[in-house]
Amino acid sequence: MSDRSSIIALVGNPNSGKSTLFNALTGKNQQVGNFAGVTVEVNTGETFTPHGNKLQILDLPGCYSLSNAEAPLDEKITMDVLHGRLEKFPKPDLVVCVVDASNLERHLQLALQTIELGLPCVLALNMVDVAEKSGLRLDPAKLSEELGIPVVPMQANAAKGIIELKQALRHPFPLASEAFWLENEANGTDAKRRDFVNSVCELAARRPDSHQRTFSDKLDSVLLHPVLGWCAFAAIMFTVFWAIFSFASIPMDLIDGALGGFGGWVEGLMPEGDFRSLLVDGVIAGVGGVLVFLPQIVLLFLFIGLLESSGYMSRAAFLMDQVMAKAGLSGKAFLPLFSSYACAIPGVMATRTIDSAKERMVTIFVAPWMSCSARLPVYFLIIPLLLHEQEGTWMQALILFGIYATGTVTAFIVARILRGRLGPDKTPSHFMLELPPYRRPQWSYIFRHVLDRGWAFVRKAGTLILGLSILLWALATYPKTDSEDPGEILSHSAMGRIGEVIEPVVKPLGFDGRTGTAILTTFAAREFLVSSLGVIFSVEETDDDVETRSLIRDKISNATWPDGSPLFTPLSLISLLVFFIYALQCLPTTAVVAKEAGSWKWALGQFFFMSGFAYVASLLVFQIGSLLDF
Amino acid sequence: MTATKPVLRKFTLNEVDLNCDVRISSISGPACDRLRALGFCEEMQLRKLSNGRNLICTLCGAKMAISRDLAEQVFVDPIR
Repeated sequence: MSDRSSIIALVGNPNSGKSTLFNALTGKNQQVGNFAGVTVEVNTGETFTPHGNKLQILDLPGCYSLSNAEAPLDEKITMDVLHGRLEKFPKPDLVVCVVDASNLERHLQLALQTIELGLPCVLALNMVDVAEKSGLRLDPAKLSEELGIPVVPMQANAAKGIIELKQALRHPFPLASEAFWLENEANGTDAKRRDFVNSVCELAARRPDSHQRTFSDKLDSVLLHPVLGWCAFAAIMFTVFWAIFSFASIPMDLIDGALGGFGGWVEGLMPEGDFRSLLVDGVIAGVGGVLVFLPQIVLLFLFIGLLESSGYMSRAAFLMDQVMAKAGLSGKAFLPLFSSYACAIPGVMATRTIDSAKERMVTIFVAPWMSCSARLPVYFLIIPLLLHEQEGTWMQALILFGIYATGTVTAFIVARILRGRLGPDKTPSHFMLELPPYRRPQWSYIFRHVLDRGWAFVRKAGTLILGLSILLWALATYPKTDSEDPGEILSHSAMGRIGEVIEPVVKPLGFDGRTGTAILTTFAAREFLVSSLGVIFSVEETDDDVETRSLIRDKISNATWPDGSPLFTPLSLISLLVFFIYALQCLPTTAVVAKEAGSWKWALGQFFFMSGFAYVASLLVFQIGSLLDF
Repeated sequence: MTATKPVLRKFTLNEVDLNCDVRISSISGPACDRLRALGFCEEMQLRKLSNGRNLICTLCGAKMAISRDLAEQVFVDPIR
């Protein structure tokens, strides 16, 4: 007997519940969303049958057909796996066809194509609760008899039917069924399948005769209304931004207090010296300055998860299609671009659902201009400074909204230009999108996904940010001087000398060498600007980190040029904001772009273009503002 | 004089009124395979819910949005 686990592939139309079933089988936490195109790559996990046999489960991206030569990339991955064309994934030993029981007429087509491949199959008849609520009369036994394969009714989001499904996956696997529908008299394979599906549904899944107006229909009459729909969309988007700014302040204060207390405790324990300075001024100040923004990151991912899970995201994509068309994109580019507001990496990967190759490349190119969560620490530091206010006012939320709008509008303009230069596709692509029924958000999955993303942020703080903090502390400390003046200590250090070298480059943007040095460090991680400025401007840690951040602002607002004029004027702060809106300061994003675009040339071109664009935009803002005496 | 048979005009999905139930008679055009994969098949009943740049219709209990270009490739007969 082979030691290899049996490989089970989950196949089905988008939105049939494959990922929910995968999570229920494997205990993993793959992202689920009520939107076609959430799963864009193969996810793997393991489970055991009731008899203790280990199974490897593959969650494949949803697809509508196994024979579409012009399918988007994510569907092609599914086709390749089932045909055994991918080296990384051997051909599955059995396929579980996951179908939405309330949509059998459409979902059975794919199940028939899977059976025709000659692979053993089991049909997971998912969402039986939804089907029954809509008045469908299901007969799983009859369905099994007609298809010649086991059929397991289930409700994956409530973990119902999982045991029965595992029982159906016991060894020996069921034999592959014959595709006997291909023997009927209809003309053409599609017609043969269609006739068979119609006859099976007539026997085993009778639909009520009249169209029933559902809760989703009532909600759509508002959310898809030509006027009310847009009002609702704008209100939802603004609420998300306002909530991020406002609700996070309480947990932020708690984190601030904890980190400040920890820093004070360490300082009290250790004798004065370089090591204490490294720990307190380097590590705790550097890492803590970033960690304090964790609540805002968590809230952003929470809202995105809610919108996806409820089913609203596809409505947003539908509404946005006419706006995206002005940028030469389709509504399908909406989810990748919206995801990029959280992080460009999953946003770039989500472009696999876009049919048009050229549209996909353009979307990948402009995705980093959707201001990601890593920019939030920078914005939350600078915006209150600009307004001379404490954090959390509605005016600041409005400015934040404006910052996001600036990046988005620029992205659309550049997308339009780039799309025009790339020329039309060989095969024109068309907008087609399933609008799933609204569903209650799956809170457990959303929370687990948010925790995953939050932990990834903390892990980054504990690795990359920690390393950069130590490096920056060393650059600001050595070589030493006998002077005790902080200004002389800094100018004598390595960082001071780097600052002198780059000051001529950044001065036209309104920055001095210290700010230029801080900006240089952000090309590894954007959020590091807060920590950099804290170290560079020698801000002393207090017990309260809100107070510390306030001190950073005080220090920055009191910083001067050698001639005594203020360093950070409103104009130079706006120039700094503009730089951060446009610069591509994320090496992991560049790496993912290279992989998804299949070309380092494209990724590096994007990096240099965006860096140059940020420089020029910041330069124009500062120079024109100066001319106008702003 | 020979009487000529009247040619019955084919209606596309674009021409259907809102909230009308129709049956797909044929799908013809460059995207017909993709439409069939989505569930737009001959003899399938559907109801058009909205017009505009993209149409929304219900098909076997599912709500689908397709562009006007695609809708032009779906020919329908009214259900009496």
